[in-house]
Amino acid sequence: MLRVAGLTRRFGDHLALDDVTFDVVPGRMTGFVGANGAGKTTTMRIILGVLAATAGEVRWQDKPLTQDVRRDFGYMPEERGLYPKMKIRDQLVFFGRLHGLDQERAAARTDKILGRLGLAERASDVLETLSLGNQQRVQIAAALVHEPIALVLDEPFSGLDPLAVDAMVDLLREEVTSDVPVLFSSHQLDLVERLCDDLVVLSRGKVVAAGAVSELAAGPTSTYRLVVDGDAGWLRDVRGIQVRDVAGGTALFDVLDGAVEQKILQEAISRGPVLEFGPERVALSDVFREATR
Amino acid sequence: MKTLDKPWVLIAEREITTKLRDKTFIGSTLVMLLIVMVAVILPAILAGKGGPDKIGVIDDGGQKVVQTASATAGGDGYETTRFADRPAAEKAVTDGKVKAALLPDADGYVVLGKDRVDSGVEGALREAAAAVGMETNAGKAGLSPAELHAGTKVSLQLLNPGPLPDIVSDFVNIGLALVFYMTALGFGMMIAQSVVQEKESRVVEILAAAVPIRSLLWGKVLGNTVLALTQIVVIAGASLIGLLATDQADILEVVAPVAGWFVVFFVLGFVALAGLWAVAGSLATRQEDLGSTTLPGQMILMIPFFFSVFAGSSAKTVASFVPIASSMSMPGRMLTEDVPIWQPLVAIALLLAATVLIVRMGARLYERTLLQTGRRLGYREALALESR
Repeated sequence: MLRVAGLTRRFGDHLALDDVTFDVVPGRMTGFVGANGAGKTTTMRIILGVLAATAGEVRWQDKPLTQDVRRDFGYMPEERGLYPKMKIRDQLVFFGRLHGLDQERAAARTDKILGRLGLAERASDVLETLSLGNQQRVQIAAALVHEPIALVLDEPFSGLDPLAVDAMVDLLREEVTSDVPVLFSSHQLDLVERLCDDLVVLSRGKVVAAGAVSELAAGPTSTYRLVVDGDAGWLRDVRGIQVRDVAGGTALFDVLDGAVEQKILQEAISRGPVLEFGPERVALSDVFREATR
Repeated sequence: MKTLDKPWVLIAEREITTKLRDKTFIGSTLVMLLIVMVAVILPAILAGKGGPDKIGVIDDGGQKVVQTASATAGGDGYETTRFADRPAAEKAVTDGKVKAALLPDADGYVVLGKDRVDSGVEGALREAAAAVGMETNAGKAGLSPAELHAGTKVSLQLLNPGPLPDIVSDFVNIGLALVFYMTALGFGMMIAQSVVQEKESRVVEILAAAVPIRSLLWGKVLGNTVLALTQIVVIAGASLIGLLATDQADILEVVAPVAGWFVVFFVLGFVALAGLWAVAGSLATRQEDLGSTTLPGQMILMIPFFFSVFAGSSAKTVASFVPIASSMSMPGRMLTEDVPIWQPLVAIALLLAATVLIVRMGARLYERTLLQTGRRLGYREALALESR
């Protein structure tokens, strides 16, 4: 498990990170969200040792993270960059070896990933001749080539069209085994909601929410939504619930007593056709807005 | 599976293979090779070693004189062309088919030329004619050639021999300083560029996340030192072939003992500067910044270079102890003067100390500035910068 423990970072007078603590659990994708300048990139750079922490530490398997271990991490920085004039195969082999693979293994892994990304024919092309989308793929490949033990991806999907995002996600799911913790930051909350198991919300250098996406999105109370063919006004007389809103056949209500929602469903069916019934999920963007307010 | 423990070796390897595929690097090396070859071979050609001079003769006596002259000159100095009579020989001289003609005269020979006769040719023929004539005369008087030459041999002995003549020694001094200057400047700029390219393309962040920043610095310094030395060895090899091909191999006897010293001075001076050039690269954020950030490096090279070329001999002696300047002037001094052995040793000790100091400071600056991609930094600013 990757643990960020009490990270604090000052740039001069500016407190960029303030006692940031969270876990990235193996086999789960952890989304890292926050407004611009919230400290996501700073946190990631400290995890990778590119930046030093003013206080606090990064721990790996309950021990302080060392340079040796970190070498097996995979990292995709926010500011993309590879060698523009180097052939992509040479480049990936180089990065594989830089992360500790031997020549043969690095070459085998490179060929596999390039094949997987559909770039096998361009293996001996110079990076800068590739389209931006393909360059982005190579960038992901550079983070994955050495079979990292942990992955830190800073805005991995920014600038990609939905198809490319899907392809990238497939690759990640395929390459990342169940013992690899993955932390990725993103502005695209819908994407985070779709992909992530856990979520860390950062605001002005502080963690303001953290936990499983399902829990965070479920909200503190259970809100239900009922849509019937007819009028739903009768709900106002039901005990054990608090009606939030009724408009024609559509109603939104909070369940105060356990199991009362089943009775309401039976009642609704007996009164006529039910078009929709279920717990109302809070959009992640609302969670985000709420948390960072 | 995870085997490689020395990332700087890998960085050095990438540095080398990238340069070896770089057409401008290969091109400039070839041009340098060409220049050196021409510089080595051209003097030999100008000195007339291109082939034997043709001398016209019309009788056996003349032929024998020319053959004697040729033998004295080392075997293939002159070649005879036989003509039927004097008019035919005159025509050949006028047409330039032969350099000169050696014709019998009432009391010996005439050297016939067009508008002038090369003094070397004239002297050689004169000497050979005298020798052949005297041997013939001596034979008539009953003396063998050995008896004739007994007690006439003159050999040269110098009480205070300088290793090389003055002009040659100036040439060698400037040449050696120039080799260091050009190589250090050329590779220095390449190091700075390769650093700033990594900053510009942002790949540096991935590199820094994977390996310690010091390894990046060491890899670059190592790779470029190997490249620079290889380039010099290739060029030295080419000039060696040139010297052998043009029978100038005797110069080697003078140069060879100093070659080892040159390598030591070169490597130490180069490594010290390489550290500085890498810092120049890491202070910049774009290629355009290099002009100002490499200025100190250029000065550190340029000032000692002009000093070692134009300064008087006592100033040069001082310069040959000053680190960096010593890389340019000590090998040349050792080649052209009698330098007591303690001098290069002291110079090396000083240079070594300076190299360690510069590289240490360079590594610190490099670590602090490499990831500052926002704007160009000054040296003073970088020194004041806190660590990451």
